[in-house]
Amino acid sequence: MKISRRSARAEVPSMAMGDIAFNLLIFFVILARAQDDSHLQWTPAEAKNLQNASNSVVSVLIDADSKLYLNGQQIGVAQLAGRIEGLLEGAPPGERPVLVKVHNEALAQRFEPVIEAISEAGGELVHIVEEVRD
Amino acid sequence: MRIARTTKLLVEPPSSATGDIAFNLIVFFLVCASVQPDRGRLQNLPASETAEDQQQQTENIEVQLTRTAVLVNGEAVPMPRFATRIKSLLAAKTSPAEKVVIVKSRPDTPYHHWIDVTSTIDDAGGTITLQLEEEREIVVP
Repeated sequence: MKISRRSARAEVPSMAMGDIAFNLLIFFVILARAQDDSHLQWTPAEAKNLQNASNSVVSVLIDADSKLYLNGQQIGVAQLAGRIEGLLEGAPPGERPVLVKVHNEALAQRFEPVIEAISEAGGELVHIVEEVRD
Repeated sequence: MRIARTTKLLVEPPSSATGDIAFNLIVFFLVCASVQPDRGRLQNLPASETAEDQQQQTENIEVQLTRTAVLVNGEAVPMPRFATRIKSLLAAKTSPAEKVVIVKSRPDTPYHHWIDVTSTIDDAGGTITLQLEEEREIVVP
């Protein structure tokens, strides 16, 4: 007598879908934070007539310790222009914004060469500041 | 005799949905956090020029910045009067080339002072050009 083989059904339990999605999301959030500069310490200066900054792929930050960061990664002024050029490669004029976040007490000897490097790389400077409070 | 009602209604959400609820909550807070755009000031700086090119800029307005003060064409101007002064000077200029304002900062000028002055120049219709001290490498034999 031939006994028929019983086929076992191997399915991923659908109950775990939520947990899988949750863990995937956490993974991508952590990955995104590595390129983020929200963990850096700086105080924005104040100015009038502000406008909403458009989305930018380049963010340059000088923190309270006068350290320079490009997209959250520490960098030297000498490499800045080249790296920005690479990031903005192919972007047409008018679509090359570079967000500049400078600590309000940073000195000209530190931020002016940075501004010059961004300008040299063809970046359009957007100084991230706060609206003047009365 | 009174018979007790035996119907039990499910009042708790199924625990299997906790993961989905957490997921939706995280998405909600992520979206909330990402919709706040940064606000700032757009600044157009002309391309760098060499020292020879500066010969033609003798007619341009020159603004010098120190740690706390501002000098317009070598004359100290109190900060509250700076906007009026720069507006009146730029009003006399007609061509875009003449509206170029040369900004020269001392090394100890803080950023809040610099952005205050440069944004005032921008609002007055001036075009900012930074004059930086060039670094020269001297090789000692």
